[in-house]
Amino acid sequence: MSKVVGIDLGTTNSLVAYVKEGEPVVIRDKSGDGLVPSVVSASAEGTIYVGREAQRRLLTDAGRTVYSVKRFMGKGVGDVHGEAQFFPFKVTGEHDGVVRIGLGDREFTPPEISAFILRELKHRAEAFFKEQGELDFEVERAVITVPAYFNDAQRTATRDAGRIAGLEVLRIINEPTAASLAYGLDRKHTGVIAVYDFGGGTFDISILRVEDGVFQVLATNGDTHLGGDDIDRLLVERVLADPALASSGFRRTAEGLQEIRKAVIRAKLDLSDREEAEIVIADSAGPKTRATTWERVAQGPSGVAQDLPRVAQDFSVPGVAQDLPRVAQDFSVPGVAQDLPGVAQDFSPAYRKRITRSEFETLIRPVVDRTLAPCRDALADAGLQPSQVDEVVLVGGSTRIPLVHRLVGELFDRTPHSELNPDEVVALGAAVQADNLVTGNREMLLLDVTPLSLGIETMGGVTSKIILRNSTIPATGSEMFTTAVDSQTAVDIHVLQGERELVPDNRSLARFKLRGIPPMPAGMPRVQVRFQIDANGILSVTASELRTSIEQTIEVKPSYGLTDEEVERMLVESFEHAEADFAARLLIDARNEAESVIMHTEKSLRAPGFGEIAKADLAPDEQPRIEQALAGLKALLPAPDREAIQQATHVLNDATRHLAEVMMNRSVHAALAGKNVDQIG
Amino acid sequence: MTAPTIQVCRTCGGGAPIDVHFCPQCTKILTLGRQGDYFAFLDMPRKLNLDVGELEQRFRALSRRFHPDYFYNAPLAERRASLERSSYLNDAYRTLRQPVARIEYLLELEGMAAGSAERSGAAPQGGAVPPALLEEVFALNEELDEVRALREAGAPESAWKGRLQRARQPIDAKRAEHEEHLEELSAKWDALVDSHGSDGDRLAVLTALHQRMLERNYINNLLAGIERELAT
Repeated sequence: MSKVVGIDLGTTNSLVAYVKEGEPVVIRDKSGDGLVPSVVSASAEGTIYVGREAQRRLLTDAGRTVYSVKRFMGKGVGDVHGEAQFFPFKVTGEHDGVVRIGLGDREFTPPEISAFILRELKHRAEAFFKEQGELDFEVERAVITVPAYFNDAQRTATRDAGRIAGLEVLRIINEPTAASLAYGLDRKHTGVIAVYDFGGGTFDISILRVEDGVFQVLATNGDTHLGGDDIDRLLVERVLADPALASSGFRRTAEGLQEIRKAVIRAKLDLSDREEAEIVIADSAGPKTRATTWERVAQGPSGVAQDLPRVAQDFSVPGVAQDLPRVAQDFSVPGVAQDLPGVAQDFSPAYRKRITRSEFETLIRPVVDRTLAPCRDALADAGLQPSQVDEVVLVGGSTRIPLVHRLVGELFDRTPHSELNPDEVVALGAAVQADNLVTGNREMLLLDVTPLSLGIETMGGVTSKIILRNSTIPATGSEMFTTAVDSQTAVDIHVLQGERELVPDNRSLARFKLRGIPPMPAGMPRVQVRFQIDANGILSVTASELRTSIEQTIEVKPSYGLTDEEVERMLVESFEHAEADFAARLLIDARNEAESVIMHTEKSLRAPGFGEIAKADLAPDEQPRIEQALAGLKALLPAPDREAIQQATHVLNDATRHLAEVMMNRSVHAALAGKNVDQIG
Repeated sequence: MTAPTIQVCRTCGGGAPIDVHFCPQCTKILTLGRQGDYFAFLDMPRKLNLDVGELEQRFRALSRRFHPDYFYNAPLAERRASLERSSYLNDAYRTLRQPVARIEYLLELEGMAAGSAERSGAAPQGGAVPPALLEEVFALNEELDEVRALREAGAPESAWKGRLQRARQPIDAKRAEHEEHLEELSAKWDALVDSHGSDGDRLAVLTALHQRMLERNYINNLLAGIERELAT
């Protein structure tokens, strides 16, 4: 049996966890980092980077780097009109169609971008299991979490992303519910829990009753467009409005904006445990210069390149700050600055601004206040007073902000729980659920609800609700239709999601035509449209004409989603791309190695006394052979032919082997003969 | 009306009583037929004053038996049966948990659909005013007309908001009266269930319930109309 994992596919960061001997554990990289930034970047060669590397590229190649893609899941172009301008990447798409995001020279749908992140998590988990000595290390099945307030299109897009990444999505579960599962591992818990989940891009509140091991969601509410991102944006705008920035000579490039974003996020994190922080923006002439330096370094000898992630240890991630020693976040880390000229050396900030916690709180108060109304609404839907909530659990990086903690505490009149790492608790819960599903463990049961009412369009553009919000899922509902004119054989059905009365105010999920109704006088046919929401919260629709019992197979064209065929095609393409990406990565590796050999060879040839060495120790044809191999390799380097480069590298290596031995012997002799004997060995 | 009392297990082909969830022979989950009702499904009496604690407890217990989470590795037919039974259970729980939805469901079950009160939206349009409400509706409409005239004449909010508030008082009173009626009738129904009352007695109570529900929907729509006037 392959492994199963739980995945928290977040706006800012994503995580993967699994259950080890009954306990959920986050899978970390070698440096102990569990968070994979939800950032995807494409190099000019077409290589796809995900996570820390991609995040680093935000500062050097912002236009080819995508972040916060979760905000675009299940959206149409019209939905993101106002927002797309804030992002450095290109957001396009056909009118009334799904969003497309430019990543380098290619265009992808949000599920495809998310699939890159999921694939990275899959690789991370597989590498981890392999290292643990597991023969059966492959990860093919996962539970993936979504914000509770995600609508059908957003859930479907998430499931599609999983499929494109080659994962069987066991279940889509809601983030706050997953968190409650992680908190409720101790089954003695009984009572009402409120889970306040304020993440990078979304906000959810869920009210649950826990009894006999059943986690029953009573009501949920939220805002899928409210998160730490909004706080960051307020801070960025404040910096941009500051005249001091203009006088610093700051240039408003995509990279420059990312520089500001990084700086304000860092200040935001600092303000979680300090009364005052500084927004420090690096030399603003930097970004361009830096970009070139960066690329040179990145393509240089691999030893240097591998140090890069450490420098980029990134600040833009809520939560990371707590996990990493403060020092590691500083540009002035000794030994790093020296290694990377242009990145940090001669660091003299062009812009520096103090911000106190109270200024920060005044600025962000409106954003935090927007989370309180959904809390009250959810309580009202659950039929509860704040005082009837027994425990409040905080989830999501943004709950580290003291103001959030305080306001939530005031609303529910109790101290919220934050014992578990708010960044990890969702992934842990997802892992528990994944384990329960495959093992058939019956100790706990999640009973979730649908966050938004589902209905259909009726006469006069009014929405008729068929399944009400906060209905426990799975759930069904049905509605009768008839015809308006004699001998009508088809009925248009428009499926909607939302609480509003008028059709345009709700989310259009799908339109379809029910055909094949036998010709009858108007009003005679009885067409039953049946909704089924499954345990993932995903809707399917069937329709039948009851007088004749004609069951119609209806093809539902999702308004802002992908068809099954499109998902299949993307899955196939992703394999092709994965191969192309892999090939591109191998090419870069080959070039790096070649450059390293060239550099060493040239250094030897230029070394003082080389002429002497050649005369004394080298065969007569040896130097010309080396020079020929060197020229051959250098000529091949720009071409995208990995095998030829590797071959030529091999030839040069062979040609210089003897020379290297000679040089080595000489230097050892020189050292032994010198004064530094005590330093040898 | 003779409802079937036997169902056939799709897994082993054996027969099973209509209201059991698992096959007595092979223990597999049974496909949900079109028969049955929410009360029987939850094994609760067809009464209007249900013990909600009992309902919750049964709901959780049955969830633990049917939920799709527990059928993840089961054959397709069982997975489908689990989805159907869980959906039906959730629909039953949601309906029977709320007193008003419970009455509507009972009426529907007894062949007297009241028209769903969940259908929110449109104010009563041309529908006949229930006779018991004629007086109140007449007074209210008069008041609404005057308020609209005042507003159109540009009168300040203070001049008409109070009148509107006062106008809804008789309607509110009527609604409270109705809640009491519904409770009385519910108790009467439950007593008939316990005493196995005659069909005639049952029909009388159901008819009264049906009428009260129609009036109730009408009142709710009136109140919603006033709310809209106040909001604009």
